[in-house]
Amino acid sequence: MKRVNLVWMLLIAVSLVMSACQPVVETIEVEKEVVKTEVVEKIVEVEKEPSEVLSFSTPHPILSDVRVRQAMAYCTNKDEIIQAVYPFLSPAERSELVMDTFIPKNHWAYAGDGNITIYPFDPDKGKALLDEAGWTDEDEDNVRLNAEGEPLMLELLLTEAPHRKILAPVWQQQMKACGIRITVNHVPSTWLYGDTTGLARREFELTDYAWVGQSDPSGRTLYACDQIPTAENNWEGQNVMGWCNPVASQAIVKATNTLNQEDRKEPYKIVQQEFTKDMVSLPIYNHLEIFASNPNLKGFNPQPGEEYYTYNVADWEIPGKDTIVIGFTQEPASMFALVEQGVSAIIANSLVHGLAFSTVNYDFQGIAQKVPSTLDSGLAQNLDVEVKEGDLVYDVDGNPTELKPGVEVYNASGDVVTFDGTPILMKQLTVNYQFRDDMVWSDGTPVSAADFDLRFRIDCDENSGATSFNTCRSIQSYEVNDSGYTVTYLPGVQDPLYFRALMDPRLSNVYPAHRTLADGRKLADVPAEEWATLPEIAEFPIGVGPYVLKEWVKGEKMVFEANPYYYGGAPKTKTIVISIITPDNAEAQLLGGQVDVLDSTTLNTISDTMRKAADEGKINLYTLPGGTWEHIDMNLYLP
Amino acid sequence: MLGYIARRLVQMVGVVLISAVATYALLNLAPGGPMTGLRQQQQGRNRITAADIARIRAYYELDLYLPIRFSRWLIGHPRGSIEFGGYEWFANTPVGCRQPVEKNIRNEQGKIETKVVGCNEYVFLRDLEGRKVSRGILLGDFGSSWKLLRDRPVSDLIISRLPKTIELIGLSTLLSLFLGIPLGIYSAVKQYSRFDYIFTSLAFLGSAMPTFFFGILMILVFSILPKSAGLPYLPPGSASAVREYAVPLLGTIQPDTLADRLMHLVLPVITLTIVSVASWSRFIRASMLEVLRQDYVRTARAKGLKEKMVILKHALRNALIPFVTIVVFSIPSLFGGAIITETIFSWPGMGRLYFLALGDSDFPVAMAILFITAVLTVIATLIRDLVYTVIDPRIRYS
Repeated sequence: MKRVNLVWMLLIAVSLVMSACQPVVETIEVEKEVVKTEVVEKIVEVEKEPSEVLSFSTPHPILSDVRVRQAMAYCTNKDEIIQAVYPFLSPAERSELVMDTFIPKNHWAYAGDGNITIYPFDPDKGKALLDEAGWTDEDEDNVRLNAEGEPLMLELLLTEAPHRKILAPVWQQQMKACGIRITVNHVPSTWLYGDTTGLARREFELTDYAWVGQSDPSGRTLYACDQIPTAENNWEGQNVMGWCNPVASQAIVKATNTLNQEDRKEPYKIVQQEFTKDMVSLPIYNHLEIFASNPNLKGFNPQPGEEYYTYNVADWEIPGKDTIVIGFTQEPASMFALVEQGVSAIIANSLVHGLAFSTVNYDFQGIAQKVPSTLDSGLAQNLDVEVKEGDLVYDVDGNPTELKPGVEVYNASGDVVTFDGTPILMKQLTVNYQFRDDMVWSDGTPVSAADFDLRFRIDCDENSGATSFNTCRSIQSYEVNDSGYTVTYLPGVQDPLYFRALMDPRLSNVYPAHRTLADGRKLADVPAEEWATLPEIAEFPIGVGPYVLKEWVKGEKMVFEANPYYYGGAPKTKTIVISIITPDNAEAQLLGGQVDVLDSTTLNTISDTMRKAADEGKINLYTLPGGTWEHIDMNLYLP
Repeated sequence: MLGYIARRLVQMVGVVLISAVATYALLNLAPGGPMTGLRQQQQGRNRITAADIARIRAYYELDLYLPIRFSRWLIGHPRGSIEFGGYEWFANTPVGCRQPVEKNIRNEQGKIETKVVGCNEYVFLRDLEGRKVSRGILLGDFGSSWKLLRDRPVSDLIISRLPKTIELIGLSTLLSLFLGIPLGIYSAVKQYSRFDYIFTSLAFLGSAMPTFFFGILMILVFSILPKSAGLPYLPPGSASAVREYAVPLLGTIQPDTLADRLMHLVLPVITLTIVSVASWSRFIRASMLEVLRQDYVRTARAKGLKEKMVILKHALRNALIPFVTIVVFSIPSLFGGAIITETIFSWPGMGRLYFLALGDSDFPVAMAILFITAVLTVIATLIRDLVYTVIDPRIRYS
């Protein structure tokens, strides 16, 4: 009996080990075999007509017809969807959240109602379009058929997020009323947003998700023709609809490669016109950002366009109390903002380091950075320079490239030219970023040029652990001084946000070069690969911001004390505590008076209890239209 | 007996290793993982290039083959070519692939699948030299966290959470034993009495009620409602307060004092205890009833022993044998924590840590917890078998 057990155990062990090794075996050894038997056959096909086999080149039988797409837009009742997701809003508040294009209505880049195609809820119009497209419902069973008798059925993929569980059936019913049968498929977000699955591979017919709004509308990677992910281009880009409209494509490239905001409005208008006319992506609504606070908390003022609501934390106070508690449902993984850029971590960091500037209502407001370094202010220059073969420049795709014949670049007049070996003129930006002269570290040492320099050295070091080095790669050279730095960008870099201090995230742009570590070394001498593991960086950094991190009990709380050297003057409240709580317990902690602030990363909706407490004056609620917007993308092609 | 224990210890090592292989393979082969969402960051300034992706893959060791990764996690090797007798061996053995060759192939369903068919740039054994590596989990080094405490030791995370979990689970386990066993016995002895009916119904209710519902109910009834009514109340969550608070009748309570910590313990401990008492006492009741019907109990009574003696000495001892199995298996949860209760009460314990580690694909943290839980489980099994011999002299191991 016992022997049998042993044999079984061994068998299980062996099979486990085998299964663990399997993929490796496949990649190394089976490789030849696979190529010989199966793949070679298919590769031969590929060679005959490569584009037909591999790329998304077969138009989708239903969605490639613009009339069907427009009909779906007419049949969508956005107000009903918003009401289902946010039942506590008034009709006026709901209409503020409606999205008709990819830019919110209150944004400077919005084209204006008259300049885009707006699809009001009009099922009759939608049905007429469907009839015209050959999808008819003669037996009136709410499923339209085409001439071949095939039903009008589409699959909608979306994640299991609570608001999408609400949205999906509502939209499904709206489509059903027009005779479009939608099958809803909730998939794990790890699959939909995965590296090699879901959106990245365009594995969908219809998909509902949200783009996180940015203070700049950008859009280059979403709507340009060369940003359609296909097998051939190694799945680069985010134009998952496969939408290639040359007019819109050129306009979006221009809009994202122009410095002057006024000059960007016209190309953005063109993109929005084409985008809404072609209806490849149905905008639905802006997410609501919800904040809640202790009603006695003064100074707390979350605003649209500024996700770091601690931008004015030095002004916060609760009369009669010396401590303010912010509830966090996500604990920062590290105080080294270069490797941990979650919103919660940046909020915690903003207490210690202070922000370089704020973007309240999408507008620049200097904090540590004195003024925006615009061309008008004289702090920035955009000069024509001659570039020749071998020079490092930005190409039209926004990649740093060595200039050689065949490379496409923008010349000084903004036209796309192919370099042919003869030197050409390109635009080159040089910007001087100025910071406050009274910045002092919380240990009393004034900020110096070495601190700015260290920031450049570490943030641009590939061993630092940072994810992206795009900013660093766009720089030709930089010079530092005691109150800031001057950057000369590569020829061709025309980033519309050039006037903002460039270190991302937008904290103070300095590292304390003078700080001595526990082992006696100066921070400036520590190689970048060690930074993420240093307690002096990851756990107890010093900064120039309003507060100093005094204590961090992992999993429980972070305690911040006012920084006596803060350049903005003494903060009104002595202590700020970040209390680490769970989403399920957050509301109870606020109602129970244990925390004073809950932010939008915690609050996705407003429960009846919260609404009632707000009505009774026990808490304050803030609802702002956020930049994140929900939309349904339509895949124009079959895989 | 010693021989038995030695044999069991050897078996235990085997079981732990097998479970380590299995959990490691499952975590790593499941879809998702630390690279999820990276491509979504391509917008605007943060565009990520193929070189960036290769570098990040190397950070997570995803460029190494699974068995190599596993071995580095388990024992901290290989960490470079093997030097022996003045030579470097296997220096050019590929142990991973930095740049896999991907082919897009249309499968039977007409979908395009990307398959790794080869490698453009191998990682060789000698390349591992100088790469960051832990000493191996077998030597007690759990490595560095990927996400939750980026690049800082996993052990820091575990040490910060463990005392809180032991406090919570330990207290509630003790309470459950002290309440559950007597209640179960009494209920069995007085079967079909009014007490038994009431108690059995309550126990059914207790074990049928999900913890998350029960916990929220407790917060509402003992915290939110009394507070707004101006009555004494308990804090709704967390392990301690961060600033002083005033409770009617009790006065002002300072943060981090014993009183404060006790106040915070009450609700989660009661929630956990009620659920365990409900199921444990029902278990004791059932097993007592079975034993009480046995002939030897009748014999004991017939020979004139006192009822107390019959129940506590003769019946209970035998009734406890199956119960020990259940109780012993609560040992691993002293380490693993109670995910739901900890979440509802914002209790900074191991259960929450594990939950977060899985959600964030922080595999070093999740694996450390799984590994230690596996070790504790096999230890608990051994303890159970040893306790059997104490409770039941008929059981002997050789």
